Amino acid sequence: MSEALPVDAVALRKEVSAKYRDVAVNPHGTFHFHTGRPLARHLGYDESVVARMPESAIEAFAGVGNPFSQGALNRGERVVDLGSGGGFDCFVAAEQVGPEGRVVGVDMTDEMLERSRAAATAMGLGNVEFRKGIIEELPVEDGWADVVISNGVINLCADKRRVFTEIMRVLRPGGRLQFADIANGKEVPAAALRNIDLWTD
Amino acid sequence: MLEESGFVQIDIGPPVDTFGGAGGESKARLFEVFGYAFLAHKPE
Repeated sequence: MSEALPVDAVALRKEVSAKYRDVAVNPHGTFHFHTGRPLARHLGYDESVVARMPESAIEAFAGVGNPFSQGALNRGERVVDLGSGGGFDCFVAAEQVGPEGRVVGVDMTDEMLERSRAAATAMGLGNVEFRKGIIEELPVEDGWADVVISNGVINLCADKRRVFTEIMRVLRPGGRLQFADIANGKEVPAAALRNIDLWTD
Repeated sequence: MLEESGFVQIDIGPPVDTFGGAGGESKARLFEVFGYAFLAHKPE
């Protein structure tokens, strides 16, 4: 029996895409979350990585934690980033896996894809690509990934069970999921859970 | 939910004050929202 979702998944997706379109177009705007290089420093990313990242590759970063704090990626690994946004985590991953590795960022927002692809080209990265898609239906073949990463994205999906099932599908046996996301210590009232605006504000 | 989805060897890192000083700080405080780094494995 399928589980009832608190909000309409398609409507929420539309709202989330609009929010992150704003971040892509105006990364130095005012949002309810921090963005860019100051955020990466706040979240504990390696300072040498943060310092040398071109502004275009980091200014739209809007993560909530540091997935790499659970361990650096290994040379040659194949990585999928769920909700890759402006591409910052993909660029960090690309450096860690090296030229023999591969990184695929998946995002549903055209403006973020344009931004991340332009940054990758400017940085001359040949081991990163960005694909349009939603994380409930990843455009990645079965068992392709050694590692799946994500940062502040899964909480924005109505059907998390479907997301985790999809992650299982693209991971190879023994592969790992390294992701950062938010969790609340106090229960959110049911009425608030049904309010789509509160998911993104 | 990670366990229910079949993941094993799950680890959760320490909390990070993700929204501290941002516009969303008051709501984050209300529900004790923090960022965490998670690690989980697909069985062999």
